[in-house]
Amino acid sequence: MEIDKSTGGYIFDIQGFSVHDGPGCRTLIFLKGCSLRCSWCSNPEGINFFPEPLYNAEKCIYDKLCVSACKKNAIYTDEVGIRFRKEICRDCSTFECVKECCTGAIRKCGYYISAEQLLDKIKRDRQYWGGNGGITLTGGEPLCQPEFAETVLRNCFETLIHTGIETCGNVKWASIESLLDFIEWIFYDIKHLDSDKHKEATSSGNELIIENAVRLAEKFKGRMIFRMPIVSGFNDDIEHIKNMCEFIKETGRREINILPLHRLGREKYKLVGLKFKDEFKIPGKEELLNIKNIFESSGIKCFIGSDTPF
Amino acid sequence: MLKEYNYFGPAPDPEVSDRETRKKPTKRAEFLRDLYFEAKSSTSMEFPYWYTRTWEELDGEIPIIRRAEALKSGFEHLTPVIYPKELIVGGKAIYLRGSFPMPWLSEAFYLASEDKLYKEALESGKLTADTVTTMGQGGGNVTKSAGSVISIAGKFGLRKEELPVLIEISKKWKDKSVDDIGHKYEQMVPDYKDKEEIMRSVICMFDSGYTLPQGREVINYYYPLQWGIDGLIYICEQEINKVAGNPDMDRLYFYRSVILVLTGIKNWILNYSKEAKFLATVEKDEKQKKEYEEIARRLINISSRPPENFHEALQMIWLFHIAVLNEDAISGLSPGRLGQILYPYWKEDIDNKTITKSETLELLECLRVKFTEIDCFASTGVVGGVLSGNTFNNLCLGGLKKDGISAVNELEMLILEAGITCGTPQPTLSILYDEKLDEEFLLKGIECTKTGTGYPAWVNNNVAMEFLLNNYGSEGMQPEEARAWSIGGCLETSPGSWMPLTYKNKLYYIPGGSAPATSVGVHFLSLPKILETVLFNGLDMRTNERVFPSHNLKLENYNELWNTFKDYFTRAVDVLARTNNIQHDAWRKISHSIVNSLLKPDCLEKGRDIGQMGSRYNRTFNVESCGTANLINSLSSLKKNVYEEKNFTIDEFRDAVLNNFGYRTALETGSYSLIDQIPSEKFDKYKRIHKYCLEAPKYGNDDTFVDSILKEWEDWFCGMCSNFKSLYDMPLYACQISVSTHGPMGAVTLATPDGRLCGTTFADASMSAYPGTDKNGPYALFTSATCWNHSLSQNSQMNVKIHPSAVKGREGSRKFLELIRAYLRKGGFHLQFNIVDSRMLKQAQKEPEKYRGLMVRVAGFTQYWVELGKQIQDEVIARTEYEEV
Repeated sequence: MEIDKSTGGYIFDIQGFSVHDGPGCRTLIFLKGCSLRCSWCSNPEGINFFPEPLYNAEKCIYDKLCVSACKKNAIYTDEVGIRFRKEICRDCSTFECVKECCTGAIRKCGYYISAEQLLDKIKRDRQYWGGNGGITLTGGEPLCQPEFAETVLRNCFETLIHTGIETCGNVKWASIESLLDFIEWIFYDIKHLDSDKHKEATSSGNELIIENAVRLAEKFKGRMIFRMPIVSGFNDDIEHIKNMCEFIKETGRREINILPLHRLGREKYKLVGLKFKDEFKIPGKEELLNIKNIFESSGIKCFIGSDTPF
Repeated sequence: MLKEYNYFGPAPDPEVSDRETRKKPTKRAEFLRDLYFEAKSSTSMEFPYWYTRTWEELDGEIPIIRRAEALKSGFEHLTPVIYPKELIVGGKAIYLRGSFPMPWLSEAFYLASEDKLYKEALESGKLTADTVTTMGQGGGNVTKSAGSVISIAGKFGLRKEELPVLIEISKKWKDKSVDDIGHKYEQMVPDYKDKEEIMRSVICMFDSGYTLPQGREVINYYYPLQWGIDGLIYICEQEINKVAGNPDMDRLYFYRSVILVLTGIKNWILNYSKEAKFLATVEKDEKQKKEYEEIARRLINISSRPPENFHEALQMIWLFHIAVLNEDAISGLSPGRLGQILYPYWKEDIDNKTITKSETLELLECLRVKFTEIDCFASTGVVGGVLSGNTFNNLCLGGLKKDGISAVNELEMLILEAGITCGTPQPTLSILYDEKLDEEFLLKGIECTKTGTGYPAWVNNNVAMEFLLNNYGSEGMQPEEARAWSIGGCLETSPGSWMPLTYKNKLYYIPGGSAPATSVGVHFLSLPKILETVLFNGLDMRTNERVFPSHNLKLENYNELWNTFKDYFTRAVDVLARTNNIQHDAWRKISHSIVNSLLKPDCLEKGRDIGQMGSRYNRTFNVESCGTANLINSLSSLKKNVYEEKNFTIDEFRDAVLNNFGYRTALETGSYSLIDQIPSEKFDKYKRIHKYCLEAPKYGNDDTFVDSILKEWEDWFCGMCSNFKSLYDMPLYACQISVSTHGPMGAVTLATPDGRLCGTTFADASMSAYPGTDKNGPYALFTSATCWNHSLSQNSQMNVKIHPSAVKGREGSRKFLELIRAYLRKGGFHLQFNIVDSRMLKQAQKEPEKYRGLMVRVAGFTQYWVELGKQIQDEVIARTEYEEV
């Protein structure tokens, strides 16, 4: 298929040899921007839709070259150090601050890549995956850039590359539907079945997510595995898990991958200029096994973390 | 993650991932390994005393006979020591981690602190490498003198009362050692002064002729296995009858010297058997008593006859391994494809039920401990700077048989298992990867890799065979014989041969080495340091001495820079190749290889030792490089910043280098890793230029701008080596391993155009990226690394650090194998891993006592963390870690 030269999108990383997000060794493409704001997010640098400066105070020598370099006055200093007015940064295309910074304290996160350039990188990587590998679009929320995602997935699919996505489902149904023929594997995240609770932790209700899940489970012909972060004190109570069992059974799918909350993204919050809310507890091994047992006794295969059969 | 205490030391905090695979050795092997942990590197004068005494007595005798008698005397006078619970006995010297000096190779070093010779030696540039190398401070290294033990070379302990013997004997070798004689004549090379400057600037790490004249090769156990010691003596007697009085009389003396040395070895083995018998008479424990008696019986058998079972064969190859090590200063004498060599014996035993698999495993574990006990006695610069105390006994698995089918067998599975259950640095393991190898075996290799011991290394069978056929075809090598290859030493592709072993009336073709030492010749050229001299008109800016003649060029364009670099590099290779040839010539005339020669095909057939090209293959001299990634990144930076984008001028750059980009030096900070360096008050002035340097395209990211520089370098380097000739009138070839030289060589090099700071360690190996600069994952790194044909070079080396979580579990194992396979399929030659969390390494740096058993892969070898120098520790910590969370 001809690739429309104008198609492209914003990504913030391409990661080869990823082994936990689909079958085989894979290349993960992280699309920038997300429609949810989960308070435990482990990729906070992927939340904003625009390329943005990341700031590492430990490397900063406070020569303030960045402050004077920014013609839009997006950078100021206070008692903590260098600060960015991200609402101004969102329209920046020149990133003078990054160019001026000599210590690597400021770096740019996210960039535009044409679908063609991205496909070249995927073609390179496919030589290294081995038999079962492929690509997985993740993010951020990959379906927030539907045309870009479609072009990439379609091209991969047509050249026999295994295609997968990981989505939070909080997008228009049309964005999902247009891709269905080119996807072989979906991780579908559900955080909470109660919309109010969902809104509390992710600043968005779950109606669209639930609705899409049901439709997708019905229409999608490939393998769809639910994913659920296990956040102690938020969604790990037995009643909620039992409700999840019921919900999953209703969709007709039979697999879930539970991901214990972790804090490995904590350091990145500082870089983005966000505060890490350390309000939840990491579940223990016992608890995870208990949850797994509940799922499995309802006939749903449950995999904990990276302990998957793929 | 394991919380309880384990052999590698505790996990430092709950968030640090421990390695996943964990098994325990048998009680016996654990006991023996604990003995090793308790033992210190110790040296003794027994062998050198008797060697020198006999040598002096035979003044005027034909040199090779004199040498043989001296070796015989040394062997016969070694005090045998057998430790309780040992199943395989014998060692280099009286101590568990014993070794001894060989002043006939070089004596100046031992006289150093006693005699003004030290100063002379320093002035001639020979000991400079020592002064810039730091030895690891822990483990079995005797780093400081204490009580009645004197520390030598920062590693070996010598009993105080033996010091006068060492000094006395060393004095006897003054002006007679290989070092001194070689030095006398190398000065006749017209541009010898250049060589001195090159050594003093540590552009070249060391002379190979007298430091480690043998090694980095594969031993061949065939002859004693086939004929036994008496059989070999008989063969030599028959040959003497044929050659005595006929032309080409050197053969007579060679055969005579072989008989002498074999007699010495025979008596040495019999001395061990007497010791075993004696121990049996005084032993109270019935089981142990019986074991001593069996040891004695085995030793008596193999002192004359070929081995008659697996255990005897194992004991015999072990003693011959030691016998070779005792004739010369050797590192990297590799057992080769041991599982294939010993398979006939083992198969017979297992079929007859005279051995079980668990008994085999126990024996193989004991063998691991024995190999780990081997110490190599040499100077600080060589032992610390090059070897990190390692002896590189590389045991290879896999590959193909003579008939071209997979050579994997059940014994090799057990060798891998012993490598898992009984983690020790030696013998290090390598898998000769071929598409024909069984999946089960490969996944066993993955299980072993995941223990985090660093072995096995994964090397490419096809690439090696192509290299060998290209370079040894002129000596008659055919594809069938190329299959007999193995790794000799750290990562040196070495030729082998198929030897027809008859055992219990059946014929087997077993592989074994059939060439002398590789990695002799031009030993480690520091590529970034040569670039430094190009930028400073031929001067070494650390010492302000002139190394190369001034070029007086303005370096106005990239080609001028690149051509000048090639010119200086060529000069260095040229003069070093010639001076090293002289040293090796002195070596072969004074310190003939007899034990190793009698084992190597076709020395016995030809009647010549390996110094007279008795081996089947002889083109083994090479040119070794160090700091490839830093050179490539530096050229990339200059090309982009100075010549294309004109971000700074070359003069501005020189100023920045002299001021270390405004940072303090590594010597001041005490850390040799780039990430730990501290800016000084001058930083402001140089920060921009440093930024440009750091941001220039870096090798390892699939960036054509810089990868094309790598390709140009590799094609040129691999080609130019053949313009220089070895002592044996054969062209040299390229060898690209850094071993540990990237530490000390980095220490004497100013800041480099890639942004690396003064004194910090270079990138390791040749295909590893500089720590932290490969930002696009392993696939991009692999693509960069395979932009050139690896079979042009004897090797190329890629070390990758992987976080344990990335390869966790059953799926992790399969995916890990895919990763390795992918690189090798693209034509990569070598890949090896450190599966370890950096935080654990940092913890181990702080609390070495808790991590006595922690092992890491450095650059072609595995070593105990606590025995590594700090320069290398810092580099290992800084290497990019592929982490999957």
